[in-house]
Amino acid sequence: MSTALISIVIFNIIVALIVSLVFVPVLVWMERRVAGFIQDRLGPNRCHIGGLRLGGLVQSFADMIKLVFKEDYVPNSVKEKMLFRLSPAIVFATAYLSFMVIPFADDLNIDGKSYIMQALPIEFGILWILAFAGLGVYGLMLGGWASNNKYSLLGGIRAAAQVVSYEAVMGLSLISMLIVYGSTHFGDMVRFQGELIWGIIPAWGVIIQPVAAILFIVTAFAETNRSPFDIAEGESEIVGGFHTEYSAMGFGLFFVGEYIAMGVASALIVTIFFGGYQIPWLNTAALYEHINMVFMVIIVVLPLVSYVFARWIKKNNVWHKKDDVRNKETRWLIIGLIGVNILVIFTLLLFLLFGLEENGINISVALLQVMTFVVKLLMVNFFFIWVRWTLVRFRYDQLQNLAWKVLLPIAIANIFITGIFVVALGV
Amino acid sequence: MIDIIFIILSFFAIIGGLGMILFAQPIYSALSLIVCLVALGGVFALLSAPFLFMVQIILYAGAIITLVLFIIMFLNVKSDNLPNEPYKIPTILVGGILLVPFNLLIIKGFSTLEDKPMHIIGEGFGSIKGFGMELFRNWLVPFELISILLLVALVGAVVYLRKEKSDG
Repeated sequence: MSTALISIVIFNIIVALIVSLVFVPVLVWMERRVAGFIQDRLGPNRCHIGGLRLGGLVQSFADMIKLVFKEDYVPNSVKEKMLFRLSPAIVFATAYLSFMVIPFADDLNIDGKSYIMQALPIEFGILWILAFAGLGVYGLMLGGWASNNKYSLLGGIRAAAQVVSYEAVMGLSLISMLIVYGSTHFGDMVRFQGELIWGIIPAWGVIIQPVAAILFIVTAFAETNRSPFDIAEGESEIVGGFHTEYSAMGFGLFFVGEYIAMGVASALIVTIFFGGYQIPWLNTAALYEHINMVFMVIIVVLPLVSYVFARWIKKNNVWHKKDDVRNKETRWLIIGLIGVNILVIFTLLLFLLFGLEENGINISVALLQVMTFVVKLLMVNFFFIWVRWTLVRFRYDQLQNLAWKVLLPIAIANIFITGIFVVALGV
Repeated sequence: MIDIIFIILSFFAIIGGLGMILFAQPIYSALSLIVCLVALGGVFALLSAPFLFMVQIILYAGAIITLVLFIIMFLNVKSDNLPNEPYKIPTILVGGILLVPFNLLIIKGFSTLEDKPMHIIGEGFGSIKGFGMELFRNWLVPFELISILLLVALVGAVVYLRKEKSDG
């Protein structure tokens, strides 16, 4: 056990923690603000800590604290107390464990040794994801059943039927991607997507296999039980579905689990179809070669972007009462922005002046890739939220018809066509 | 280390198997079966067969038991509808005693095995690639026969459902 190994493992686990658990309040905030934007209203923006509102982000932390400290009430009608308690934990744990096989950066070389940048460095990531997607539905089913309530039971049964049918399509759409990539290792997949087709277009999964991408995105929506596939908790029909009887942190775990599952689905979409951690036209080798150029571009672009952002904050971040503490926020935000700018530019100038040794270049490449991954992840998360507030919910029979009569034949045809192409081209 | 993990896994597998038989409520039986299957999957992983481990969890623990649970929940068995089983424990004890000679035979068989070192054979052993190559090169005909068998079962299920629909 070398120090490099230990620190890389700790770094990966911390990144996995941040991207899954710490992102939940951010995603909740995004969901509310985007919903507000789409419905032409503001969304939460009042809650503050000493004047600091962060555009309403503080509200989600307040909500989390509320959920933790609320009275945890279990109705008397609940007979199976153990299962009732266990099921939110199953939902949360399976969603969280799925995140462990997502690669955040290309394999990191330190002193000639290569380390896989996943929290759990295994090479059959796709199978791991499918396994935990299948186990996660037990939480919904058992929660619905243990609540001893017909609406909850209906919600649980709907969730089970939906996940089982969409899992089949998801597996089949993944098989065509496996034929293309020739590996079950996420790292190999992303490395494949770092290449270029005919020297211009990045070889992303979505460009090589658009049909599989659409199938996978649709089934990912169904697997996460999000709108338009949220019949398991369709509030207009069955109250709250499987979580009707849950209060406080029992509900909180379902809630957090749902957002982590959304994060996992987004991370999978990014990794398999949108080039993972690769910056378009700049794969790991190119990034390694042109690292000084990248630093210079950052030094030039970062202050410009920050200037526009600061102008935007100054114009929009105003509280309507003159002497309110919330009016001071703009100044602090701008000071913070300038501080970050100075810090980043100073560090990068130091790197440029004194040059980096090989380990340093490798680490900065990895950090840039982690940031790229996070940006892509947030973009796909935004897409999830956008769809939720745009499309209406499917009816149950429409949902099953879509899975078995439309998506499944397309997925099988796609596998055949992909197979023929791969054999014909001999790649 | 491997011995300790093996003992823990086999403990859970046996507990799960016992629970599967002993619980009166079918949902708990199904859940015990999940525990048993996941523990068995762990044993596969311990034998450096990661593909088998994942498939065990995806197919058995993930898909098949989900269907079983789904049907149990669909029937919604109430606890007063469950059959009364007064002789459950004695029956199981008698059954266990009857199985003792068989188990002795297995233990005897194991004790005659040669003592071999327990370590992973080669780098690619049990990997997905090696497994696939073995399956599609040396065992292609049995593989295809089994898939035809599954297809026949699938078509049979569809035909069976169609008939019931036309009657009602």
